[in-house]
Amino acid sequence: MNIELSDITRKFSRNVAVDGVTLDAGPGVLGLLGPNGAGKTSLLRMLATILPPSSGQLTLLGRDPRKPADRREIRRRLGYLPQSLGYYPSFTVVEFIEYFALLKEVPPHLVPKAVAAAVEKVDLGPRAKSKLRTLSGGMLRRVGIAQAIVNEPQLALFDEPTAGLDPEQRVAFRALIRDLGQTATVIVSTHLVEDVGAACSEVALMSDGKVVFRGTPQELTARGEAGQGVGDAPLERGYSAILSAARAAS
Amino acid sequence: MTAPDDVDLDRVWTSVAAEVWRRHPSRLERTATRLLRSPGLARALLTTPSLLFPWLIASAVILAIGALAQVGANQPLVGLLAPVVAAVGIAYAYGPGIDPAWELACSCAVSDRLVLLTRSVAVFAVNAALGLAASATTLGTRAETHTAQLTFGWLLPMTAVCALTLAVAVAFRSAAVGAGAGVAAWIVVVLARGAFTAAPGTSSTAASLATAVTDANLYLPYLAAAVLCAAVVYYATRPQRGIQ
Repeated sequence: MNIELSDITRKFSRNVAVDGVTLDAGPGVLGLLGPNGAGKTSLLRMLATILPPSSGQLTLLGRDPRKPADRREIRRRLGYLPQSLGYYPSFTVVEFIEYFALLKEVPPHLVPKAVAAAVEKVDLGPRAKSKLRTLSGGMLRRVGIAQAIVNEPQLALFDEPTAGLDPEQRVAFRALIRDLGQTATVIVSTHLVEDVGAACSEVALMSDGKVVFRGTPQELTARGEAGQGVGDAPLERGYSAILSAARAAS
Repeated sequence: MTAPDDVDLDRVWTSVAAEVWRRHPSRLERTATRLLRSPGLARALLTTPSLLFPWLIASAVILAIGALAQVGANQPLVGLLAPVVAAVGIAYAYGPGIDPAWELACSCAVSDRLVLLTRSVAVFAVNAALGLAASATTLGTRAETHTAQLTFGWLLPMTAVCALTLAVAVAFRSAAVGAGAGVAAWIVVVLARGAFTAAPGTSSTAASLATAVTDANLYLPYLAAAVLCAAVVYYATRPQRGIQ
């Protein structure tokens, strides 16, 4: 297993953002669904080793992120796209991706090829030498995706990766993460259930800091057909039915 | 014309693109890489906002004005300005709100603590060099007996002010708060020393204010403050704290 979480909790003062989550994941694409404030971003930040849990046990890629040497090894193999990624306006696309390849300690002699491969994967070749300040929001999001995959991560975390992407780019991104999920553990936090249906082999649904559902997209769809879910698509009805049940139970 | 079956055109194209897009590091970056033994850390150092050319020009201009005033009006302004200029530079070296991709950088293998330390030391060194250069231009123009203190004595208060600024900036995760605290603390110290030492017959107000950098009795408290603030920085940047 690349990810093993055992009873993970994260508190901010009195607010419990993540409440006793136990989760494990191997290679594949796991979709993380949930309403605003469900704790998805806090969970992703803990997996990205930038937010320590308040309690519980976290093991990533077989290592303990509390230990500095382990944390560094995890980070070398980690790809992370935050929900709001800032950019250096004066950097070009290539410079930005190269900067993060170096910070991830990709061996310097491999960096140019790794950067070129990442740029091509997100289809930004024609804008490789463009300054970031000249790019559209969707293009900037693709730059963010490129930096996340530049080190060929074993653990890739994407927080709302398709926000700002047009439908064609969204389809391309789904193909990219399916490909990445062949060898790596990919976690995609999103509000868009169609992304989950198209790209994820598994789904975890969070509500009030807890994981209230874990299964395949087909199982989520089945819950919608059996329950009281509302929505236009089968997955949306499953999502809605589970959330309603979780809220009723709490 | 088609490529042979055993040629992976994608791989060939990636190799070509890698060569075309390859960035050639400057001599400064290559030197920093050799010194720091980390290309990532060297690159992070050269992207420090308060080491960018416009910022350096602004710092140099402020110190030059101080030096001119010191020469023209015989007022020891360089020693009073240098700690403030350096402190603001330190506050804006690294952190949330300063580095646009700070959260992402925190998830990278090169430690954000090390980036902070490297950038802070570099900003301090550059500002110390600028301050010394400004001081050097004023040598021989004053009649004070404290020439050595006025020339070099501000390095210790500058260290204390910079350490305080950094400590507040990392504790409150705000460059503006850190810079404000550092500048305010320095103004309080300077005014307090000025009020304490001002006496009938004092040659000038600025000269009495300058005792904040010339009074050797203050050097130990400055050093203690710097060490205390360094401890705060160490504690506030511990990985267990994480980003909020």
